[in-house]
Amino acid sequence: MFTFTPEDEKQIEKIVGKYPVKRSALLPLLTLVQRRDGYISPEAMKAIGGKLELSPAYVQSVMSFYTMYHTHPTGKYIILFCHNISCQLNGADDLLAYTSKKLGIDVGGTTKDKKFTLHREECLAACSGGPMMRVNDVFHENLTTAKIDKILDSLA
Amino acid sequence: MSDDNQVNITINDQPVTVPKGTLLVDAAKEVGVEIPVFCYHEKLGPFGCCRMCLVEVEKMPKLTTACTQTVMPDMVVRTESPKVVKAQQGVLEFTLLNHPLDCPVCDKGGECPLQDNTFKFGSGTTRMEFDRADNDKVTPLSPVITIDRERCIACQRCTRYSDIIEQEQALVMLNRGFKNEVHTFCDEPYATRYSGNVIDICPVGALTNTEFRFKARSWNLDNAETLCAHCGCNCNMTLGSRTNKLMRIQTRPNDLVDDGWICDKARFGYDFIESEDRLLEAGTVVGGARKKVNALDAAVQVADSLSKIVDEYGPESVGFLGSAYGTNEELYLYQKLFRSVLGTNNLDHKTYQDTPGLPIDHYDFLNVETANLVLLIGSDPAEELPILDLRIKKAVTRRGVKLAILNDQKTALDKFAELSSTYNVGADGAALSALANGLAEGGAGDESVTGISAEQMKSLVELIRSGKKVCVVYNPASLTGNSIHMLKHLLSVIGKIPDIECGAIPAAPSTNAVGAMDMGILPDFSPGGTPADKGLSAMEMIDKAESGELKALLMYRSNPVVDFPGGKRVEAALKNLNLLVVHDMMETETSQLAHIILPSNGPGYDEGTTTNIGGRVQYRRRGLNTKNLPDWKIVSKMINSLSEEPVEYITSFNVTEEISEKVPGYGEINKKSIRKEGKTREPVTSVNGSVPQVEKVNSADQGLKLRVATRLFTRDKILSTSSPLAHHFLPSTVNVHADDAAKLGFSEGDEAVLSANGAEVRAKVEISNRCNPGAVIVPMVADDQGVQGLAGGGSVSWVEVKKG
Ligand code: SF4
Ligand code: SF4
Ligand code: FES
Repeated sequence: MFTFTPEDEKQIEKIVGKYPVKRSALLPLLTLVQRRDGYISPEAMKAIGGKLELSPAYVQSVMSFYTMYHTHPTGKYIILFCHNISCQLNGADDLLAYTSKKLGIDVGGTTKDKKFTLHREECLAACSGGPMMRVNDVFHENLTTAKIDKILDSLA
Repeated sequence: MSDDNQVNITINDQPVTVPKGTLLVDAAKEVGVEIPVFCYHEKLGPFGCCRMCLVEVEKMPKLTTACTQTVMPDMVVRTESPKVVKAQQGVLEFTLLNHPLDCPVCDKGGECPLQDNTFKFGSGTTRMEFDRADNDKVTPLSPVITIDRERCIACQRCTRYSDIIEQEQALVMLNRGFKNEVHTFCDEPYATRYSGNVIDICPVGALTNTEFRFKARSWNLDNAETLCAHCGCNCNMTLGSRTNKLMRIQTRPNDLVDDGWICDKARFGYDFIESEDRLLEAGTVVGGARKKVNALDAAVQVADSLSKIVDEYGPESVGFLGSAYGTNEELYLYQKLFRSVLGTNNLDHKTYQDTPGLPIDHYDFLNVETANLVLLIGSDPAEELPILDLRIKKAVTRRGVKLAILNDQKTALDKFAELSSTYNVGADGAALSALANGLAEGGAGDESVTGISAEQMKSLVELIRSGKKVCVVYNPASLTGNSIHMLKHLLSVIGKIPDIECGAIPAAPSTNAVGAMDMGILPDFSPGGTPADKGLSAMEMIDKAESGELKALLMYRSNPVVDFPGGKRVEAALKNLNLLVVHDMMETETSQLAHIILPSNGPGYDEGTTTNIGGRVQYRRRGLNTKNLPDWKIVSKMINSLSEEPVEYITSFNVTEEISEKVPGYGEINKKSIRKEGKTREPVTSVNGSVPQVEKVNSADQGLKLRVATRLFTRDKILSTSSPLAHHFLPSTVNVHADDAAKLGFSEGDEAVLSANGAEVRAKVEISNRCNPGAVIVPMVADDQGVQGLAGGGSVSWVEVKKG
């Protein structure tokens, strides 16, 4: 069962208060839930819709446009691997394959110990430092296999 | 001459003058110029996603979409320039990139905007050399709608319809972008009350009617422009048939009535037409067995038997129970038979009290939109009059009309209301009286009786006073006892507020409720609201049948055993009659008791006029042929066999002519005047009663008050278990207020047994504050649920609710 905590409720009130129309708060609320749970479940979509007088279907439709919202449980660390032009020309494909093999999961999958989720992502606006990946909120640029090893091994 | 509200423009060198704010796409129609569209739909408004409507406007650097661009003074528009033609061809080539070559088998073929636009505006060739997308061909969106994803051109008409028109946001685009697809939330069934309209507005064959899929080509259908016969809206629809079999039902837009929509009960709820439970033959019951007889012979036999009983026991000993489901012609003739020929005033068509006429104007659907305030009393349009529900939502969400609700139950419209007050079940008279007094002299009534706080009552009074133009919509069938008189008193009070324009819509749910009253199927009024000596009302007829004073009853499309309060008592009373004649289109619990049976053709096969809740008289055309005689011929045979001066009617319109001549208010109604959009009949005169006394509600020793709620999709004689709408059927439930649930020790989902009058109904407990404490609401979900058996027939019914 999905519920908002009293702390969430306070946050929501604050967020909704910022906009002249309620539904403008949709993306911030989706983000709030994803930050808390790592993903957004159908129950969560209903709850968010309820807060903003939007149908769950509408919430789902907006959400499905954004690849960075996750609909299934994710690991502790979400790795977003850029595959757009700058990164790709600098070897992103090989590095993604390397990471996938290292973690033993397909792109889109989550490790058994629920530590890592791996995704291919569109441009993350760090083209000058490609190839790059984002791990939760941290950007890692100019990647090499050695660098990836170091980063992933350092994460607890 | 210059008019500030008119704008002059030129389209393809032709001058056009249109009102300010008109979209180019609509302005072009005025001079017969067609601008192709896909995503644009008049009722949905501008959107601009498909680019089919590109036009060239002088001084604008790029082509612009005619569906989003409003006219500006002196605009010069070209729709056929080389630039435009090239754009149109490009857009079509693009739209067709992934469209399958299904036309030869597609349901939309022959009436498809994509086909038509491609022929008229396409290049006739494509540069595409790669494979087309390969998407799901058959995905049910619900049991009645199937989507072919390959055919979808992502115009978003359907999703916008769900958002803007039905206000549900049930259909949405998921994965917007290259992979966009129409879905519901987590692929739950798309099961709104109005879902089927998306089939008609989809500009390609993506959304299809599951029942009709691949059954016939559209150009092979015989299309009858007819009316829906399910509720008092009388929406216009097209009944398509092939070899005399019902194929499909579609919208037939009439802005004065339906605004271009029909509900799903119309589109998917007509398979009773070909049901096995149809009554197709006349019969007489001899020694318990039904013997087939010729319908005209049976009619003569009925007439003779009735007249013999009148000779022997007097005209008070016979009665007529009609129904608001008959046409004006059928009801008028029955009225003539009973009132003029047999000389009785024992006629009725309902179990509640109502009188013809209004002390203020009779408003129609358009007034709902042009009012400043809609005051909804005791009405639940979503379940009772679905297309009125859409109209009210339109008024509130797109016309800025305020909605105030006064009801004994919470309804789906509450969330659109400025103010929604719930009076206690059975306290409708007191609440209406309190409101009338509040408006006339201030005061708020007694909250302990009405259940409405002084504060709420004050706000309501304020809302009405400041309403400027008020449209009252009330459901007489939901009012108890004599409250209808209090309602009419309230209307005249509102009518007297200075500087207020007002009118009312008597929103009884049944198809021809207004017509039935106009045709004098009432114990106390002849046609046109002319007062008559009081005969027996429906419930009084049942009483007198029970006591043996009433000897004979003719039931026309009425099934009191199930539909009347009293249950078993009603059945026993009918069994007591010397003669029970049932004239119906379906076998019913009541037809099982009949001595003589007459078959009725009913919707699909019948023809005649009906009068909708807005007072509009329209023609219900026959869609299918039958060898059976029309109902009006059977009734006129009865009349003629008893009268000295027989009148022969050749067509149903001859009866309409007689109505026009004889029924006050119907003078202008004739074949020609109602042909296109129908015609409003003149409102009947209202008889000014004195201000009634509020009836005291006796509190029973124990138990809770009972409110039976109407549902649109009920498992009854019209929608059987095999209906395509069966997924809407609900189990028997009882809505209990949290306070009462606590007292009775109920939790959500418990089994309860409701009992009264020796009848019992089992129901699942739903704890919801749908009504005030002290009462329960039981939605009528099926005929065999037997909920009317619990009702006593008095003004308020009490039930005992126990754990089951
Ligand atoms: S299903 Fe039809 S109406 Fe809906 S988006 Fe596709 S083409 Fe348009
Ligand atoms: S609203 Fe009433 S008249 Fe209109 S389509 Fe539905 S049932 Fe028929
Ligand atoms: S009709 Fe104008 S953009 Fe679709």
